[in-house]
Amino acid sequence: MLVLSRQRDESIIIGDNVVITVVDVRGDKVKLGIDAPKEISVHRREVYEAIQRENRQAALLKPDDARLLDPGTGSPEPQ
Amino acid sequence: MNIITTRFGILTIQPQDELLFEQGLIGLEDCQRWIVLTDSKNPGLGWLQSIEQGHIALGVVSPRRFVLDYQLHVERDDLHSLNLTTIRDAEVVVVASRNETGLTLNLRAPLVINVEKRRGCQVVAKDAHPIQFAINTPTVSLKRTA
Repeated sequence: MLVLSRQRDESIIIGDNVVITVVDVRGDKVKLGIDAPKEISVHRREVYEAIQRENRQAALLKPDDARLLDPGTGSPEPQ
Repeated sequence: MNIITTRFGILTIQPQDELLFEQGLIGLEDCQRWIVLTDSKNPGLGWLQSIEQGHIALGVVSPRRFVLDYQLHVERDDLHSLNLTTIRDAEVVVVASRNETGLTLNLRAPLVINVEKRRGCQVVAKDAHPIQFAINTPTVSLKRTA
C-alpha cells in the first residue's frame, strides 16, 4: 500500500479527477473532503461492505419467506 | 423474450417492462436489467427479478408501510442515472431479506426508481438508517387477534 504523509488542507489526487483533501485532524479522527466525478460513488467502506453482504443475502429470499411481510397471513403461530 | 427463473418459472417479458439499473446493485453489479413482478399472495410485496440471472430476485416493499416517518436524504448526484425531471417521479422501495432473527428491511440502501423512464439505482442514505431493520410481524399479529 502506498503511504503518504499529509497535513491539514493538503490533498492527494487519484487519476486526474479524484481529489482527497485532509479537512481536519482531531485526536484519532480525520475528516476528509472528496471531490470526484458523479459517476464515481464514494462510501464509507464498512457501510458499503455491509450493504454488499445484505444484497447478496436478500437475493436468496424465497416467496415463502416473504409471506411474513404480510401481517394478515404470515404470522407464526400465536403464543 | 422468455427468461427462466428459479422462483417464478418461465416468464415472458416485453422490452418496455424492463427496468435498467445502469450501475447494477451494490454487490450485484452484474445485474442491470430487471423486471418488476407483483406477489399474488401479498399485494404489498413486489419482486424485482433479474433478467440476466434467473436465480436472483429481490423482495421489495414500500418503506412507509413499516416505518411511517421514513425519510431519505441523498446527494443529488447519486440520482443522476435516473434522468429525473422532477423528484416526484421517483419511487422509493426497500429490499427485504431473511436473516437469523427473521425478516429485515434494508432502510439504509433503498432502491430509487424512475417509473416513467424505466430506470433505477440503489442509493446509500445519508441518514443513519439500519441496514437490517427487523420487522416485528408477530407483535402486529397478536394485536390484531387480541
